[in-house]
Amino acid sequence: MKLGDPLKLVSQLLDLPILDKDGRWCGIVDDVELEGGPGKPTRVMALLVGPGAYEGRMPGFVFRLVRAVAGGRIVRVPVSEIANIASAVKLNCKAEAAGLHRTEDRARAWIPRWGAL
Amino acid sequence: MRWILVLTIPLAACSKGPAADLPSIGEARSLGAEWALVNEQAAQGHLTPTYVETMRKQLRRQLQSGLASMTQPDSPYGDEARALLSEPDDASPEALRRHVRALKQIEDSLESA
Amino acid sequence: MNPLELTLGIMTAVGGFVDISELVFAAQAGSIFGYALIWVFAFSTIGIMAFGEMSGRVAAVAKQPVFNLIRHRLGLKLGLVTLVASLLSTVITCAAEVGGMGLILNHLTGAPYLLMAAASVAVLMASMWILPFKWIERVYGLLGLLMIVFAAALVAIHPPWDRLAEGFVPRVPTGLSAKKLLQFAYFGVAILSAVMFPYEAYFYSSGGIEEEWGPKDLLTNRVTTTVGFGLGSLLAIAILASAAQLFGPANVAPELPGSAALEAAIPFGRTGLLLALLGMLFAVAGAAVETCMANAYAVAQFFGWEWGRHKKPWEAPRFTLAWIALFLLALLIAMTGVEVMSLVEYAVLFSIIVLPLTYLPLMLLAGDKGYMREHANKWLAKGLGWTYFVIVCAAAIAAIPLYLLTSGGQA
Repeated sequence: MKLGDPLKLVSQLLDLPILDKDGRWCGIVDDVELEGGPGKPTRVMALLVGPGAYEGRMPGFVFRLVRAVAGGRIVRVPVSEIANIASAVKLNCKAEAAGLHRTEDRARAWIPRWGAL
Repeated sequence: MRWILVLTIPLAACSKGPAADLPSIGEARSLGAEWALVNEQAAQGHLTPTYVETMRKQLRRQLQSGLASMTQPDSPYGDEARALLSEPDDASPEALRRHVRALKQIEDSLESA
Repeated sequence: MNPLELTLGIMTAVGGFVDISELVFAAQAGSIFGYALIWVFAFSTIGIMAFGEMSGRVAAVAKQPVFNLIRHRLGLKLGLVTLVASLLSTVITCAAEVGGMGLILNHLTGAPYLLMAAASVAVLMASMWILPFKWIERVYGLLGLLMIVFAAALVAIHPPWDRLAEGFVPRVPTGLSAKKLLQFAYFGVAILSAVMFPYEAYFYSSGGIEEEWGPKDLLTNRVTTTVGFGLGSLLAIAILASAAQLFGPANVAPELPGSAALEAAIPFGRTGLLLALLGMLFAVAGAAVETCMANAYAVAQFFGWEWGRHKKPWEAPRFTLAWIALFLLALLIAMTGVEVMSLVEYAVLFSIIVLPLTYLPLMLLAGDKGYMREHANKWLAKGLGWTYFVIVCAAAIAAIPLYLLTSGGQA
């Protein structure tokens, strides 16, 4: 599917995995930012990634628990960074450029870099 | 001893306790039978000493825990389980199976009640 | 199709089929009901063949791991419920496997059970750190082939083959009391759950992506799931049949996982005992690794993290931290002193409840021509998939009432 084509938000975009231009996993489409309104054309402006984007998609007490554990971070990925949407959303930039690899990089500091074949 | 069991089984079968203890009786019966099988195979040289020792320990611990969970430990089946527990580790398979048969009799009569 | 790769794949599937739950339930089922539950093992194996094949096909064609599908198809809320439920069931299963390893090592060495459980986890974690995915799977799967001693032991005790064969015919024994019928039904549900554990689909499908399967590997996938799982199931049936022959008449309904090794000791002596204990150790170790990795795959895929053991641990850091944390959690559960048999029962109970939520998205995707093109489910996969889905749903509803009514299978 190319940008500009009509798409079904729930079945074709929401909760899809995101891969950067190098094929690395860098999140899930947790929510989308829309432009438009009732009776007007609606466009997807950005993908929203991160636990903060769960608000509105789950009961309040569950979201508060998620936020206490994982934080309320949201990363906004503009639609211009999307190369393709199929079984995953493929970006045309690296994960770092889209701000999507910060937690992975912080976790990497805990992992020794030796011993694995 | 068997006559005492035969006389007290109908009384025991009427109360709530024995019905609740049925799983523990079955467990004790099975553990006793496993113990007898281990000792029988050990006597034939089919098992390593380590396996025999560790199985006996685990079986004994499980029997103790089963006895502790019985709601009527002073019942005939509780006495039988305690008698089984008091056997030495290297008791003869036949001695252990006498207790197993007694427990099986109680178990069967409670199940059919 | 590379014949060597295919053979190794089949042998790995055979050696990796039996885990602590199948070991325990096969031995108990045989001792209590004779050969009457063989058909349930065979029936359940067809189910895991169908869903295993689907999960491998989805990995090869759609290149989508199971938990991505679950999130996408079920949405965030229901997906999160599925994730939490499957984490719970698989962590308990992992704890049962770790406890099982501790018990088996206790029988082999005499060293304390908890120390052996901790040592097992340390060795498993080291192997998962050092070895790439293919070797993790192969090492434990191939060493698990020592379980073949149970099949040899069955032949050696000369069972009544005609009665054993009759056990493959689906039937409920006649003349059972109401309590025994409930117990029979409980064992049926437990065996179905133990054979069709959800972690198997997560692990197998993610493994297909780890090994970069493509459409050219579809035949390998089909042969591995049918032949490999089929032969593995025969090992479990051999344990059941030996128990029917040796334990049932002796009034033994094995209360300890280590009792199963007696099935090989009786015909083959100490050699049989040692081979059985080693086979059980490696089969259960393989299952511990699979359950831990399946959990880590589930979490990483659900949240879109880097994942996989085809990468070095530092290339998928959150995935690495996840499997380390999950292994330690499983060890902690085992160290609370909860009996391994109880852990096995809880694992089986939770897993059957999670199964419908796991298999539904998998089946929907495997039948979706948009993703699967010409490789979408055809009539056989559709028929088997929906039939087993209905049966699994019925089993999930019946599981808890049966557990309570039979006091966990005690009748």
